[in-house]
Amino acid sequence: MPQLIPTPWLALLIFSWTIFTAIVLPKVLKHSFPDNPTLPSKQNLSKNKWDWSWH
Amino acid sequence: MTLSLFDQFLSPVVCWIPLVAIAIMLPWVLFPSPTTRWVNNRNLTSQNWFLGQSTSQIFLPINPGGHKWAILLSSLLIFLTTMNTAGLLPYTFTPTSQLSINMGFAGALWMGIVILGMRTQPTHSLGHLLPEGAPAMLTPVLVIIETISLFIRPIALGVRLTANLTAGHLLIQLTSTATLALLTIMPVTAILTGVLLFLLALLEAAVALIQAYVFILLLSLYLQENV
Repeated sequence: MPQLIPTPWLALLIFSWTIFTAIVLPKVLKHSFPDNPTLPSKQNLSKNKWDWSWH
Repeated sequence: MTLSLFDQFLSPVVCWIPLVAIAIMLPWVLFPSPTTRWVNNRNLTSQNWFLGQSTSQIFLPINPGGHKWAILLSSLLIFLTTMNTAGLLPYTFTPTSQLSINMGFAGALWMGIVILGMRTQPTHSLGHLLPEGAPAMLTPVLVIIETISLFIRPIALGVRLTANLTAGHLLIQLTSTATLALLTIMPVTAILTGVLLFLLALLEAAVALIQAYVFILLLSLYLQENV
């Protein structure tokens, strides 16, 4: 069976891992998944008012 | 004559270029790297969506400590799916039909997962050698069986993918040879064989995606046990 011929075994193994780590991993790493945008709520604005308490 | 049917799995070399190299390097042209723009094109957006969905599905049942493996397993999923489906095109070589490539990924990742489990939580990892709820009398037998099954895992992972793809490609070659040979002699039988060939091609497309997914799913299950 051709898959059992030992000559290209190590070369194929190392080549596939090399391409996997050199090309595929960086491409997948660059994908980013930003959070979904949320609507601003009016209640939060009023609670976060800053009062200059020392003046 | 029967042995020559396996010749399609010999690593082909054309003009001193091993086609395996082209088969492994070329498909990544179809997967552009995401830009730093806020909105990418449709191709990138759809690939991004698939990647995110599949990664979250696979890593839902795994402890947060195991989520470091997300990049490795999801990029391996893309690698295997692309290799399998690209090999379905005529005149292409399927790298994942080679035992060397599949055993390389299966053995290395299985060993990494087992060593990780043995180093960080050895008691918990070894505890998997005795399934819960087993009768006490069966303990020695079960431990032996579970140990054997543990060591069979990388072989099973690699050989499963290899055998599925090899068998599928072999069947396609056989039925297409039969269809062509019968075309002049028995046309109706040739048409029936042609329909069989069409159905086989659909099956192979499904098998290509499913086997890649099964590979990753099993690795994630082994990770779940060990992390």
